[in-house]
Amino acid sequence: MKKVLVIDDNPTIVELIKYAVNLQGAYNVVVAYDGVQGLERVYAEQPDCVIIDVKMPRMDGYQLVRCLRGDARTMNIPLIILSAMTREQDQMTGLLSGVDDYLTKPFKPSALNAAIERVLRLTPADRQRRMDHLVQTQAERE
Amino acid sequence: MYGLQQFRKLYILLVDSDPGACYRIQQALGEGFVLRNATSLAEAKQCLADSLPDMLISEVRIGQESGLELCRFVRLTPSLRFLPVMLLTSHATLQDKVAGFDAGADDYVVKPYDARHLVARIRLLSRMKRFEQNPD
Repeated sequence: MKKVLVIDDNPTIVELIKYAVNLQGAYNVVVAYDGVQGLERVYAEQPDCVIIDVKMPRMDGYQLVRCLRGDARTMNIPLIILSAMTREQDQMTGLLSGVDDYLTKPFKPSALNAAIERVLRLTPADRQRRMDHLVQTQAERE
Repeated sequence: MYGLQQFRKLYILLVDSDPGACYRIQQALGEGFVLRNATSLAEAKQCLADSLPDMLISEVRIGQESGLELCRFVRLTPSLRFLPVMLLTSHATLQDKVAGFDAGADDYVVKPYDARHLVARIRLLSRMKRFEQNPD
């Protein structure tokens, strides 16, 4: 069974995500309630996918994503940001940080499950290609 | 790796007390970057005073000195406040990473690194910091 780690400082949201994730997929869901605890859980649980809030105590979601992408041991874990921050700038910061998908709250369970399935299919080569593409497109905008 | 003609050359200040590490990073980054090396905090601060780089990349341990102190100096200096800072280091524990971000680093990359991945991260971090300052 695939393991999904949910990191969000709002326990109600965590329960909603757990419920949504288990509606469709058969996942083992583990949780953390801030960025540092989330990082600890990544090392301890070695999840197949991580769902990350942005605004959290101790370490925010963007920092957590960069932390995971900057270490060969964790650089290819599928990462989804699920945030109430809906501005284009926020989404761009998430993508530039290295997240595989950026969803906004409120969310549809079907959209979250589709995103999980999508990022679970990504290979390290896919991820590098996406990163290269992002570098190219951002260079063209400068 | 990338078509270099479309990229502006980035000026990087690289702070590491190990000349071998500086050489390896220089080799990894290739032609799209102009690198200046500093081997101590004092030298790094002098370089920052001489000219503002596009990015600061520092080891956590610089001889007997701390790259985290350099991070804090950058964040507390008004003219350097928005300078993108990456820690590129062999210090890889959770506590190291938390301390790095707490000190003001924007990114934390653990050695050994993949050259292509490192180049992409530097480009994206540079873009992200400019985007934060000027979203339009």
